Amino acid sequence: MTLAQAEMYQVEKEELISGSEAIAIACALADVDVITAYPIRPYDTVMQYVSKLKADGTFDCDFIVAESEHSQFEIVKHASAVGARTFCGSSGVGWFYAFEAITVTAGLRLPVVAMVGNRALDDPGAFGVEHNDAMAVRDLGWMLYWVATAQEALDTALLAWRVAEDPRVFLPFAVSCDGSFLTHSQAIVNVPDFQKVQQFLPAYDRGRLLLHPDNPITVAPQVNEDWLMEIRRQTDDAMRRTQDVIKETYEEFKQVFGRGDPSPFIEEYMTEDADIVLVGMGTLAMPVRVAIRRLREQGVKVGFLRVKFFRPFATEEIQQALSNCKAVGVIDRDYSYGSPSYGGVLFNELRAAMYPASNHPLMLNFVAGLGGREVLVRDVNQIIDTVQKAIDTGKIEEETTWVAVRE
Amino acid sequence: MTTVQELPQIRGVKNIPVQEGYTSGHRTCQGCESALVMRLMIKAAGPRTIVVGSTGCMYVANTTYYSTPWVVPWMHTQLGSSGSAATGTAAGLASQMRKGKMKDEPINVIAFCGDGGGVDMGLSAISAALQHDEYNLLILCYDNESYANTDIQVSGSSPWGANSTFSPPGKKHRIMNNRWKKNTAPMLATGHPDCRYVATACGSYGLDFTNKIRRALTIGGPTFIHSIDPCPKGWDYDPKYSHELGMLAVETGIWVQYEIVDGELILNGPSKAIASGIRQRKPVGDYLMRQGRFAHLTEDDVKMFQGKIDQSWEEWWIPGIVPFSPES
Amino acid sequence: MSTVAVEVVYRGIFQKSLARNIVRSIVFAARKEGKIGTAFGRYGDSPERNGIPAKQFAIVADTAEELEENLAVYEAHDVDVTINVDDTMCKGVESWAWYGLQPINDLTKPNGTLIVTSRQSADSLIEDIHQREEPYNLTIVPAAPSFSGLWVYKDDHTDVRLLGALCKVCPDLVSLESMIEAIKDQGWDDLKVTSAEKAYERANQRPVEPGEGTDDVPFTFDLPGWKTMEEGLVIRGIAEGGGFRGGEEGFQPARNDVFKKYSTRSMRPIVNFDTCIKCTLCWLQCPDTCFDVTPDGLFDANMEACCGCGVCEAVCPVPECVTMINEAEFNDNDSQWEAWQKDKEGYTKWMTELIDKEKLTERTHGFHHIGQYAEEAAAQAED
Repeated sequence: MTLAQAEMYQVEKEELISGSEAIAIACALADVDVITAYPIRPYDTVMQYVSKLKADGTFDCDFIVAESEHSQFEIVKHASAVGARTFCGSSGVGWFYAFEAITVTAGLRLPVVAMVGNRALDDPGAFGVEHNDAMAVRDLGWMLYWVATAQEALDTALLAWRVAEDPRVFLPFAVSCDGSFLTHSQAIVNVPDFQKVQQFLPAYDRGRLLLHPDNPITVAPQVNEDWLMEIRRQTDDAMRRTQDVIKETYEEFKQVFGRGDPSPFIEEYMTEDADIVLVGMGTLAMPVRVAIRRLREQGVKVGFLRVKFFRPFATEEIQQALSNCKAVGVIDRDYSYGSPSYGGVLFNELRAAMYPASNHPLMLNFVAGLGGREVLVRDVNQIIDTVQKAIDTGKIEEETTWVAVRE
Repeated sequence: MTTVQELPQIRGVKNIPVQEGYTSGHRTCQGCESALVMRLMIKAAGPRTIVVGSTGCMYVANTTYYSTPWVVPWMHTQLGSSGSAATGTAAGLASQMRKGKMKDEPINVIAFCGDGGGVDMGLSAISAALQHDEYNLLILCYDNESYANTDIQVSGSSPWGANSTFSPPGKKHRIMNNRWKKNTAPMLATGHPDCRYVATACGSYGLDFTNKIRRALTIGGPTFIHSIDPCPKGWDYDPKYSHELGMLAVETGIWVQYEIVDGELILNGPSKAIASGIRQRKPVGDYLMRQGRFAHLTEDDVKMFQGKIDQSWEEWWIPGIVPFSPES
Repeated sequence: MSTVAVEVVYRGIFQKSLARNIVRSIVFAARKEGKIGTAFGRYGDSPERNGIPAKQFAIVADTAEELEENLAVYEAHDVDVTINVDDTMCKGVESWAWYGLQPINDLTKPNGTLIVTSRQSADSLIEDIHQREEPYNLTIVPAAPSFSGLWVYKDDHTDVRLLGALCKVCPDLVSLESMIEAIKDQGWDDLKVTSAEKAYERANQRPVEPGEGTDDVPFTFDLPGWKTMEEGLVIRGIAEGGGFRGGEEGFQPARNDVFKKYSTRSMRPIVNFDTCIKCTLCWLQCPDTCFDVTPDGLFDANMEACCGCGVCEAVCPVPECVTMINEAEFNDNDSQWEAWQKDKEGYTKWMTELIDKEKLTERTHGFHHIGQYAEEAAAQAED
């Protein structure tokens, strides 16, 4: 870390910044070595800020503007293999253009941290938020987290390197931020001093897996059917191990920085006594909380469960959080054409997670806010009404409802 | 920019180091010239080297899991990623060394690709890598003129008329590959004037090949070498002729041996003799008729092929290299 | 109620079309008798490499239900007949796809048959073949191995001769009549039919008793599990190597200890150390790093690494200093340089005999020039 870098982050301070800028600052605090950029809205705001920090000399990193997203992710993958701390990111179809590199990064067990500025997939071209881009890595060995605020973006980025670089894990980590609402709007963020960050985040040590002349290894030879089951099982086991590593690391995070939720995986809002629990991810937490507070005043027992880690999926904690309610309304900011009940990805995962649970609430799905459309308090009210109706009648008329869509 | 290793030019074949960085354990074909290229490459570079290899024969046939021929650190990269893999490796090292996170020492970074990975899919990433003069890296394209690994399909670097599983001579179309070989090295040299070293090479000229690798690694910055590798599998010939066919490619003028060092063109070996008129080009038929992939060519085809090569030597601005002329 | 399985063990690429012709013809012939079959190559062998052993299979059953047991597999689990189209593979095969040496008769059922194209005698072949507990039969189709590349097929009738012999030694499979129909259906000429008939008449079986053959224990390899494999797809590189045989002088590369090239060769170089001028070309141009540098500056071809390409012979400027010899002539992988050191006269005598013998048989190894196969096929058809 350069002197200028150290001076800049000598003392804890407040800044008015976007979620993207918060993550850029986290990169400087974490003293990331190699960062690759390629322009695409809305994630690119993080790289605009990184380049500014570098230009001003307050962040010393190798900042490489690649010629494509594929190269962007390949470059950090290989930098990570020789022991460098890395960061990159993308949005929408850019994330998909990089998909080959994204897949192998997990297969190689490289702790790359990436930001996904969630964006609708082409065609048609659209800038607004949808979760389908980041969702696409859900089966591949990436940890996948949805943040709701700029502060959470900064904190989660720091957590990401610590967990991903833990030798028990060595898996990549994607921090998902809703396009526009997080990438382009600014909030007051507490920026910790770098001593605290160093205390929490040790140097990345690749150990015996380091690609270096002092450790002559061969990485990723071609395999046939004699080997791949075993290799997949190793990655599966690493993903299973993330559960404990995340818990342990999050406790440390709270001690060092003095903030955080009870659970690193989910956030519960008024769920204890709730008959109805809404479930969702990312920034739609805001209108949902508002609606819940108002309905609570009218005595309606409704709560909200925000899923933070989509991978690993906190099955037991979620089963526990939904163990007393009568009905669940899952709000998906994604689609999964032709899926069970034509529902969203979160809905179907959640319903599968609840199958072995002791409590079997009614489960309804609401597809909302696609392409960046705002989810309004009145939309949430409509959702809650629909769920209430299901409770009253004891039957579900429509398992999946598209919210606020013109007919 | 990190420092480079001083790898002086080797005078005389007997002074080539005996140490090997690429030994047994690979399952390449009998007479695989690309395997020789791997061996000479790392012989020239020495042990303080990291090699990254993109998908192709030199990945799949070399390193089947639990087995490796590599003595030096080696890592796989994706088919189109030799450029980004080299950049990422070099950047990772440079960054950590600059920040004192890793011992500061010159480590060679070499990324290789076949013609499929380099001349076709990976071209844009290689081009980008050649723009980063702050990183020391070498990209070596071993060109066996087809996707030989995946069952020998035609690539942008396959010669006109060559038989392949995607260009089989048929009853209606005798010639299924109507494309002429892409002129890759000159394209990269002219497109990246700040790249200090671009060369063509052939494993049949062992000493010349070794010295080109050493010059590329010593000169600093991003460099590119394009090697022609006879392929007994895809070209269809008795493996013992790999060496001879490499020489024939040069002696017929189909392949030109040269280096472009800081913008200066230096022709090597037989190509130099041909260009200066000391030596006559052999007829292309001597080369084509020795390979099963051209067995379906007619005499007229060979004549036409010869005409195309003659034209490249007689009409191009720089014979065999730059395919246009100044306004006359 | 019966299923009959045939495997063809061949040299990758060189004999791919040959093997394909054989297995497909078997299935075509079986259809003539109302049977059903499947023909497939071992997926793990692809992409094939020149000379590296590979396998194709033909499995024929009376009913589709019986056949199902043999579908969706990489390799037949046992076979009634093993056809080996290059006798040097009687020493066993290391496929591209897995580790260890598989004896050539490994899949052959008890009392099954091993058919080999060879100019060797049965006894000399059996010397190379691993012994086993159950008896089997050996059938020789007299011929030099038929090698050609992918684009130009060498139609020397090896395919139909093997098919003819097959019908004789495995009557349960198909009759010669059905096979001949299948041959005609593929548009092959009457000369090929005659070749098949001749081979049928000539084919005879030599019983091989338990305990006959070499008692060499084939190299095997145990696959580790996910808990012991290193994570991150990492395996350790090969050691740097050092002086010749661990001494101070010369150089000997460390070599891979799980994959040897013993069975990749159909020929191997022998070196005349007395006439060698130490030009280094054989060593420098070897794609397989097979030459150890001896303390006296000579180059000793190490059979752990040699795949028999013949480049060393081609680049050597001294006549008969490096000569490629039929692999079948050798029963060990010992160092030639050490043999020469021990007894120079004896070595020279041994080497000269081998070279003279090699001159008698033209053992071609793929495409040399257009028209060459026609000449060779004509010569073969004489047999």
